[in-house]
Amino acid sequence: MVLKSVAEQVLHEALKTGGDFAELFCEDRRSGALGLVDGHVESASTVRRHGAGIRVYNGLNSVYVHTNDTSLSGLVAAARKAADAVSGSAAVGDIHLTQSIAGNLHPILAMPMDVAGARKARLLRDMDLAARAVSPEIRQVRANLIYWDSDVQIANSEGLFTGDRRVYTRMACAAVAEGNGESQSGSASPGAMMGFELFEGRVDVAAQAEKAARQAVTMLHAEPCPAGVMPVVIDGGFGGVIFHEACGHSLEAQAVAFGASEFAGKLGQRIASPIVTAIDDGTLPGEWGSLNIDDEGTPTTRLTLIKDGVLVNYMVDRLNGRRMNMKPTGSSRRQDYTFAPTSRMRNTFIAAGSDDEGEIIATCGDGLYAKSMGGGSVNPVTGEFNFAVAEGYLIRDGKVDKPVRGATLIGKGAEVLKKIDRVGGSMWMAQGMCGASSGSIPTNVGQPMIRVTDMTVGGR
Amino acid sequence: MDRREFIAKLFERARQKAPDAADFACEVCAASDESFEVQIKDGEIYQYNVSDGGGLGFRVLVNGRMGYASTQILDEEAIDLLADGALENAALVESKDRQFLFGGSESYPELKLYEPKLEALSAAEKIEMARTLEKLTLAQDARIEQVEDCAVFSSSEEMLLTNTRGLDVSSKGNLMGAYVSAIARDGDRVNTGFKMAFSMDPDAIDLEKLAKAAAREALDGLEASQAESGEYRVLLRSDVAATLLSTFSGVFSAENAQRGLSRLKGREGEMIADACVTIMDDPHRAGSAASTPFDGEGVATRAKAVVENGRLNTLLHNLKTANKDGVSTTANASRPGYAAPVGVAPTNFYFKPMDVDLEGMIEKVGDGLLITEMQGMHAGANPITGDFSLAAKGFRVRGGARAEAVAQITIAGNFYDVLKNVEAVGGDLEFLSPSVSCFGSPSLLVKKLSVAGK
Repeated sequence: MVLKSVAEQVLHEALKTGGDFAELFCEDRRSGALGLVDGHVESASTVRRHGAGIRVYNGLNSVYVHTNDTSLSGLVAAARKAADAVSGSAAVGDIHLTQSIAGNLHPILAMPMDVAGARKARLLRDMDLAARAVSPEIRQVRANLIYWDSDVQIANSEGLFTGDRRVYTRMACAAVAEGNGESQSGSASPGAMMGFELFEGRVDVAAQAEKAARQAVTMLHAEPCPAGVMPVVIDGGFGGVIFHEACGHSLEAQAVAFGASEFAGKLGQRIASPIVTAIDDGTLPGEWGSLNIDDEGTPTTRLTLIKDGVLVNYMVDRLNGRRMNMKPTGSSRRQDYTFAPTSRMRNTFIAAGSDDEGEIIATCGDGLYAKSMGGGSVNPVTGEFNFAVAEGYLIRDGKVDKPVRGATLIGKGAEVLKKIDRVGGSMWMAQGMCGASSGSIPTNVGQPMIRVTDMTVGGR
Repeated sequence: MDRREFIAKLFERARQKAPDAADFACEVCAASDESFEVQIKDGEIYQYNVSDGGGLGFRVLVNGRMGYASTQILDEEAIDLLADGALENAALVESKDRQFLFGGSESYPELKLYEPKLEALSAAEKIEMARTLEKLTLAQDARIEQVEDCAVFSSSEEMLLTNTRGLDVSSKGNLMGAYVSAIARDGDRVNTGFKMAFSMDPDAIDLEKLAKAAAREALDGLEASQAESGEYRVLLRSDVAATLLSTFSGVFSAENAQRGLSRLKGREGEMIADACVTIMDDPHRAGSAASTPFDGEGVATRAKAVVENGRLNTLLHNLKTANKDGVSTTANASRPGYAAPVGVAPTNFYFKPMDVDLEGMIEKVGDGLLITEMQGMHAGANPITGDFSLAAKGFRVRGGARAEAVAQITIAGNFYDVLKNVEAVGGDLEFLSPSVSCFGSPSLLVKKLSVAGK
């Protein structure tokens, strides 16, 4: 997109007022979306986004300027704006960039923008038909396909000149079941860092739509969840959102650098039950939260966060790494060129343990089985989290009993991590969009089935 | 390429590419914006973000079908990309709902959405404001140990909507704001308090008030404990009630109703709330970024009571949904950005206030709970069914007075039931941060909600 000589000139300009580090991030992104409702394709759109962001550091302070104008004059003007906000003492030398090409761990077979519209429309209709076939109680189905192809280029004043191409494809199906004057919904939305080959073997759109529809029907016939404190069994896959919210955000350098996180200063200490090992891995081929390089150009990594209950790593970006005197971990991410990057999660999961899933429920007594989770949120300072149970069942005397709706799980991260007393033997992941200060980014959450000895369950 | 020249070429090119279309029209929504934000930490500039940008959204109506495409580069290549993309997308659409491109209203209201005084405010002055805000917050109490986020920001936006049916309208607005999040610590106990303020007028941002409110929120929660599980009379503080309205505002959309995603379908004219409830949609409110003389389709906007003394007067419509229901549009076509398809959304949407202040409302509670924060709206609330089950904080209320602080509880209920169970509406109207829509409410006293605690 931008020539090496242009990037060198822009970075030089950005450092003229004494900044000690400058970075140029250019992005050209094409995306599309197709939506179906009431059995008909209802919307189709194509979007092209294009722009650049320039970052300048002066010690621990950071300036970010972004623009749509990626001509030499536009970038130089943006660099001047950034430089105007800095008054530092570093001497600006000549900048010499060296091209480095990141290896591609995620080859794309069917570029989404090249796939015919008719095929996309057929996938939507397949979801609609499959969901409606589950039950006459299914009264509405919304099916969507989204995909984007982002070409990024990153250059910095330390000589880095590199790039990455990231292609994402995702389906989303939401089904609404109605009966007795009430309605309930269910959803399924798998995606990957892949093209449309996603739908050839890995994701069966009809099976996903059926899953969404069955969830809606099950919840339609569920009673309200009773409120109180009880043991909770959380199933694998999207159940991993508990770790993402309750712990993951508090291990991002953004929260740790100023000592605000409840896990600040606790490296080497036991923060979780000894059966808990947690990993953040950006290298998994084709996964939703994977990358080749992060948004600062650092090669992505597999990072163990918690080993046998002991905190061993934080997720670190360049700026907070300066504050914490730690090396970046390839975890710096941003939604697009309009955001300055910061430390974020990638594919984050609790590793498989050794407990038997049948035993986990059989020895639970009375409690809640959270089979499918909705989203949640956390306050990284206090660790207070909340998340919604999309499909839940009561456990009575060690057996899964009737379905319940409207359950919410709340607690504090540091406390819940210590209360995990079972970790199942098979781990799987699910996809989400994670929102924080550097925007909304694709992340995977995951875990095997786990059990928490007691949690506050909200209901009515 | 100059924007006007680009648009003229684009309209011509699109028409050339669809020579056989009997019914053809197209429209451009172009936006440009500038934004500024400075974050202060320990008196130093921690983050400093400046941007200029924008883009151009194109939509084409061919034989009743609408296709969309957008770009951020205005060059020769983009003309073909937009024309081809939008036409291809229109061809994929199967929906039989009739779509419209509007030729323009006879007149548009004059609104003051742009404040030159704000444009004159320098970066240095904004940085100084942010520094002052941090200092004031830290000075509130020795237990305020640090400020998590402290920022001052400003933005301005210009928008142009023009089509081949004769519509040509534009607007320009600006706004600034400040926010602070305080961290209070006392031994092992820690709590945060967040407060934000907005205005077109820099002098209207009261930094001392902001600092005080954030610190108060953080300190109040330090001693919090769980309340007993059970049913309570609940006073939702103004910001909490506004958040609840925001979460469930989609139930007032005719588009959702027509898709079976709102229980208000076909209930116009019926009592859906207690008689003390009136909900307004006012696109002309001063100083809100959600105010606008025309909606996303170029139709002149007007204020209306959506719910009046408990009765549902109307759902919110755009041209498509109004045509489908055989009514007139309420000028609530939304475009959350130049690239976004037209939908339906409120403008400044709020519970109309009565006259009792917060303390007076607390007296009315007698025995119950005052809720000052709810979390997890995006997950624990189901906008279709109206059910919610959310993490919350607040205070116990005993004998009509604020008692001990409460945290780590959940509040559960159903939005449709809440509307019917409102017993009193306060006078302390407050608005949340404005974007496409801006939600507001005074405090609301609700007869009963379920609480999970200890």
